[in-house]
Amino acid sequence: MMDSQIMTENPLLLPLNKDKTVYDGFITVQERDFRIRISLPPGHQLKQAKLHCCWQLKRLLSGYQPILKQRLHHAPDLVSFILELKTVLELAMRSRPDCQTIPPPQYYSQLITEMQSLGWDKLLFIDSEFRTLKLQGEDSAGRKHILTVKLKPNYPDEAPECVADLPFPFLMSWTPQSTLAHIHGRFLLHLEGLAEFWSALDEIDEQTWVLEPEKPSRADAMRRIAIGNNVSIKVEIDPRHPKMLPDCCLLGAEHVVTPLRTKLNANMHLWNPDCSILQNMRDVLEIEFPSPSTHEKSSLSAECGICYAYRLESAIPDQVCNDPRCGQPFHQVCLYEWLRGLPTSRQSFNVLFGECPYCSKPITVKMAVQKA
Amino acid sequence: MQRSTRLKRELQMLTTEPPPGISCWQSDDQIDDLRAQIVGGGNTPFEGGLFSLEVNVPERYPFEPPKIRFLTPIYHPNIDNAGRICLDALKLPPKGAWRPSLNISTVLTSIQLLMAEPNPDDPLMADISSEFKYNKKVYLEKARSWTEKHAVQRNYGQVKSGEKAPEVLSKDSSRKREPLKEQPQESKRVCL
Repeated sequence: MMDSQIMTENPLLLPLNKDKTVYDGFITVQERDFRIRISLPPGHQLKQAKLHCCWQLKRLLSGYQPILKQRLHHAPDLVSFILELKTVLELAMRSRPDCQTIPPPQYYSQLITEMQSLGWDKLLFIDSEFRTLKLQGEDSAGRKHILTVKLKPNYPDEAPECVADLPFPFLMSWTPQSTLAHIHGRFLLHLEGLAEFWSALDEIDEQTWVLEPEKPSRADAMRRIAIGNNVSIKVEIDPRHPKMLPDCCLLGAEHVVTPLRTKLNANMHLWNPDCSILQNMRDVLEIEFPSPSTHEKSSLSAECGICYAYRLESAIPDQVCNDPRCGQPFHQVCLYEWLRGLPTSRQSFNVLFGECPYCSKPITVKMAVQKA
Repeated sequence: MQRSTRLKRELQMLTTEPPPGISCWQSDDQIDDLRAQIVGGGNTPFEGGLFSLEVNVPERYPFEPPKIRFLTPIYHPNIDNAGRICLDALKLPPKGAWRPSLNISTVLTSIQLLMAEPNPDDPLMADISSEFKYNKKVYLEKARSWTEKHAVQRNYGQVKSGEKAPEVLSKDSSRKREPLKEQPQESKRVCL
């Protein structure tokens, strides 16, 4: 009865002797056959069974030996053990995609034909396995961009994975007839659609002091721009509508920020979609932004009054004493750490109420987020 | 985490713009172990003296104050035999007045001020304090003689002929306290 079950579930695994202590043949997992030989002691105890695996199987199962040993000890019979072995194998194959078969020769010939029609000058890089390509594209303003294409072994039946430094994921519809030239053409279209967005950001990056991100990538649509000492504006530009009024958030002490916010609200109707974002912000806020040609960055990026650094890990001092005569900036972590140790501080929900360490005027800080 | 960035910045400031009459530097590349010197102020019994201090920066600095101690013996109502200083800026609230807006430079300046203006109402050395309060002439004389004995830097150039230079050198090492962590007697401590 057990033999027939082994036979039906593993038709390629056969007993080699009359005592049925040696089985040899193949087990099939995910349409792949693996050679295996199982030797049992005369009493057929599974605990003392020996497995001989082909090298592919050995490689896949390396690291799983303790699990297999345990399964071998607990399995009631050979059938259930083989079932367990297959489950483990399936798991191992899933976590080891590199064990997949290498692509057929057509894969390479097709790749070369496609690259020839696209032009080798577009290829910046290819890895030694011919799986990952980096293609170059240029937008109308002459900015260079890179598209990373990861080909699947069954390319072109399966769509390749495309990654680029864009504000949104690079998507395209894929058919088995699509080629690298299609991908590249689509990429250029994306770049063209974003050229205006990047021009707006380039203007900001060149003419103002950007406090955040420290080193903006082409995907970053956010800029925190310095306005004055400890005052800045955070704008989130819509990549699809780069000339429209962006999401704005003014940061700094209340007494400086409030008049700016009032102006922003009062002049919002003056926003002119034909002008650049920077020009519009100047007009609406009625200010000139400090620029690298007129100001030193150190005069704008005031350090935290507690740790004396501007950047603490990646955080910048965004807590500011609201007293106009003080205006001392702090990192949230630093201010929280100081206030929480003081007997004079009071806590209400996740907000600490204490005194500014510089001017002793009331100051509040939200609880520090615990990093894992 | 905050200590290292802050100390780096403070040492840089202490190097480029030290407060008048004060110097402070890292001893032996150890970031948390600093040495400082305060020049005895004019019109004080410490005039002409150079006072060495040990500045220990705790792990939690600047959330905790630096630990500062005189290495050079000094006759002062608020400084004990081990060189410990009774100064509110060196203690955490509620007892003290340390806050992260202070730093090593400002605290050393406060110590310099304390040297010139002792605070006899919060004494660490009760007998020196009452002497300062009720018999100032004696206090000033003793403080001056301690300064002369322990804090005056004698250079070879000033050594009079006949005096032995090497002896002066060996004196130099004996007039300083070893930077130890030994616990001196607590009996005379009044300062809270």
